[in-house]
Amino acid sequence: MRIAFLVPLASLVLLAGCGGPETSQANNAQANISNEARPADSAAASNLEARLSLGDAKKVMHVRHEGMEAIGKSFKMLRREFDSASPSMPTVRASASQIARLSKRASAWFPAGTGPETGKTGAKPEIWQNQRDFAAKLLAFQKAAFVMNAAASGQDVSAMKARYADLGGACKACHDKYRSEMKH
Amino acid sequence: MPRQISLGDEALSERLAQPVWDLPVRLCHWLLAGLIGFSWWSVKNHHTDWHIWSGCAILTLLIFRLLWGFFGSSTARWSSFIRGPRAMVEQLRGRWIGIGHNPLGALSVVVLFLAVAIQVALGLIAEDEDGLYTGPLYRLVSIDTSDKARDIHELWFKVILVLSVLHVAAIVFYRLRGRHLTKPMITGRAVLDPGLAPMRPGKWWVALICLAAAFGIVRWVIAGAPPFTP
Repeated sequence: MRIAFLVPLASLVLLAGCGGPETSQANNAQANISNEARPADSAAASNLEARLSLGDAKKVMHVRHEGMEAIGKSFKMLRREFDSASPSMPTVRASASQIARLSKRASAWFPAGTGPETGKTGAKPEIWQNQRDFAAKLLAFQKAAFVMNAAASGQDVSAMKARYADLGGACKACHDKYRSEMKH
Repeated sequence: MPRQISLGDEALSERLAQPVWDLPVRLCHWLLAGLIGFSWWSVKNHHTDWHIWSGCAILTLLIFRLLWGFFGSSTARWSSFIRGPRAMVEQLRGRWIGIGHNPLGALSVVVLFLAVAIQVALGLIAEDEDGLYTGPLYRLVSIDTSDKARDIHELWFKVILVLSVLHVAAIVFYRLRGRHLTKPMITGRAVLDPGLAPMRPGKWWVALICLAAAFGIVRWVIAGAPPFTP
């Protein structure tokens, strides 16, 4: 339960720290999660499961799916721009800001009870078994999306490409561990 | 099908064995089998980068084998083993004698070759679900086409799997009828039916030219096939 609060909180803190200090703030937020969420892990899951009706759970899963698809699409657009000889800056900026915007919402996409036991999803049960690790990875993604978006507002294309590569790494780190293959 | 007579004497059959498959054909065959397996394993285990390199290696093999089928040894040549349906019927009636691929075996070679070529072509324009990995030619098509190509690429593997199972089943079938096909594909030699001429080998320098051409084409593909990509 606390994680569900902490993650959006952490990303808010993160977003407030525009520019340099976001790294240390993100680390603080992560430290908070690991310190406070530990005893609540199992209680949090049962708590939320009790509250989330089947309909709501399915709704969250649907929103999550659409959101992830949209993030993926924007990421692919970034890739195409960065692979071309002359990237279109408006496309880069729009895609980066779309990913940053959706990444914030992602904090609410993984309440307990929205795993494969409820419906078709690529979300593995491990998400709710390793909540601290998952929250850290989600936070790392949000941070990377934010930093990418910040870079996209500048002019330095090579810096953008570097942030874009970091962002891809954050996607992969989580997906390799917590996403199963899903046909849709 | 002419039944191979077992001489019951390994040393003697070793001496009587004559060339059937040249080294390039054998290497292509076993590397292809290995790389298909590796491609499957690597993509299942989140090594998509290795998977893409494996696909590029397969493309190199396919181009080399295609060329070797025109300029290689007698049994490697497409013209020596692609035959019409009549030859296949003859074979089924047990009236086919020859070396190299028999008419039905040749059909299986061509179908497998095409199936793998289609798989590689799909992979070249595909991108993974997250847009983290892309085939070298993904920019020739739209994001939607690229995603669709990945979906078909995944499904098409089942076709390759079925064809591979059929391929192995045919070998087992021949084995049960006393004909060893695996060993000649390793050693390149087999005891031939009487009256058959052995394989006429190709030239090693022609093989090198074919290989260089294959490498050149694949490097160009990996570079995004300039000037076709924006």
